[in-house]
Amino acid sequence: MNSGVWEEVGCAKLWNEWCRTVDTTHLSPTEAFCVFYHLKSNPSVVLCQCSCYVAEDQQYQWLEKVFGSCPRKNMQVTILTCRHVTDYKTSESTSSLHTPFLKALKTQNFREPPCCSLLEQPNIVHDLPAAVLSYCQVWKISAILYLCYTDVMKLDLITVEAFKPVLSSRSLRSLVKNIPQSTEILKKLMTTNEIQSNIYT
Amino acid sequence: MASQYDRAITVFSPDGHLFQVEYAQEAVKKGSTVVGIRGTDIVVLGVEKKSVAKLQDERTVRKICALDDHVCMAFAGLTADARVVISRARVECQSHKLTVEDPVTVEYITRFIATLKQKYTQSNGRRPFGISALIVGFDDDGIPRLYQTDPSGTYHAWKANAIGRSAKTVREFLEKNYTEDAIANDSEAIKLAIRALLEVVQSGGKNIELAIIRRKQPLKMFSAKEIELQVNETGKEKEEAEKKKSKKTA
Repeated sequence: MNSGVWEEVGCAKLWNEWCRTVDTTHLSPTEAFCVFYHLKSNPSVVLCQCSCYVAEDQQYQWLEKVFGSCPRKNMQVTILTCRHVTDYKTSESTSSLHTPFLKALKTQNFREPPCCSLLEQPNIVHDLPAAVLSYCQVWKISAILYLCYTDVMKLDLITVEAFKPVLSSRSLRSLVKNIPQSTEILKKLMTTNEIQSNIYT
Repeated sequence: MASQYDRAITVFSPDGHLFQVEYAQEAVKKGSTVVGIRGTDIVVLGVEKKSVAKLQDERTVRKICALDDHVCMAFAGLTADARVVISRARVECQSHKLTVEDPVTVEYITRFIATLKQKYTQSNGRRPFGISALIVGFDDDGIPRLYQTDPSGTYHAWKANAIGRSAKTVREFLEKNYTEDAIANDSEAIKLAIRALLEVVQSGGKNIELAIIRRKQPLKMFSAKEIELQVNETGKEKEEAEKKKSKKTA
C-alpha cells in the first residue's frame, strides 16, 4: 500500500472484545483497523483494508458510515476474503480438494460472470464480508464476494496467487498493471510475513 | 459427529475412523515437500528447504538424515516427532548390526519405524507421530529401495513418491513422468527429482536440498552449487523442449 499509487483517505476505528489495544482514541495509523485508500490516478476507486474483527452489533454502523458517504449509483463492490478449508462443507472427499480455491457469491444486480464457481449450499459467508454483501443486496448495489478457501493459518504466496483470476474481471481489469516483476514483488512481500515457526519441517 | 470421537486416540468412531490418526496426516501436510525416486542404480531424495531465520544455523534444520551408511530418510511433519523417530531408528540400526553382524535391510528398518508409529496409535495417553517418512537405501543384494511410512503405521514400497505440502501435485507429476527413460541413468533420475520439486517449490534451486545413494556408496548430500548446476541444466532442457513443441505446432 505504500507504493505511492494509493493515498490514504480515512480510517474506521472501533473497539470490541477482540481488539488487542485498549486505547482507541489515540490510535496511530498503523494500528487503525479499517483503512481506506483511493487511487491517486483515479479517485473514484476506493480500497478498504480491514484487518480487525467487526462485531455483529457494530457492522450496521460501520456500513452506514462507509456507504452512507459514497454515492450508490453505478457503484461496483468487490469483496475479497478467505477462510480455512475445514469450514468448507462438501460431499466430496476432502483429499480431492485442490486448496487453495476460490468461490464467489454475488448480488442480484451483478451482471458479469464471476471468475470462479459460486459458493454452494450449505456453505455460508461470515462476519463483515457477509454484512457488506447483504447491504449491497438490500440497496441493489452490484457486488461480488470472492472467498478463498485455504489450508494455511497465515497468508502465504500460494493463497494470494489464488486470487489472480479476480484481476481479470471486467471491473478490475483496467486497474491491473502488467508488471513482469509482479511475482517477485509478491514473493518478497510474502516472505517478510512468514513466521519462523520450527514446529513443522 | 467427528467432534465426539476425535478427542481420544483409542476411540473408533461409529463409521470406523480413527480421527486422531487422520488429523495427524493433516499435520504431515504442513511440512515442506519431500520427493523420493528409485532409479535403477540410484535412489534420490529431494526436499524443499524451509526458509531459515537469519540468526539460525542452517545445518541444524535438516530434513534428510542418514540412519546408517546405506539407508537414509527424509520426513515431513512435526520436527520434534521426527527427531525422536530418527533417534530410535538409528539406535535400532546399530543394535541390529551388533547382534546379527549384518546391516539392516531397508525393509527391516522401515517396518521398525512403522511398528513404532502404530504403537502410538493404540496407546492410551499418547498421540500418533505427526510425520510421514520416505526411507531409501540399498540392500546387500544391490537392489534399490524406497519406502514410505505414515502416521498410522502403514508402510509401502514405491517407485517414486512425495509427501508433505502439495504432495498430490508432485505425485501426479511423477505418475506422468516416471518412465523407463526417465530413470535410465543416474543423472536422469536426479533431474526427474528436481523437476518434480520445481513443480511446487516457489523460489527455485536455492530452496532445494538433494541427497543420493548409489550402490555400495555412502549417502551423498549435494552442495548448493551442485544443486544450482542441476537446476540450471533442468531449466535449459525444459526451455529446449518447449521450443521444440512450439516449432512443431507452428
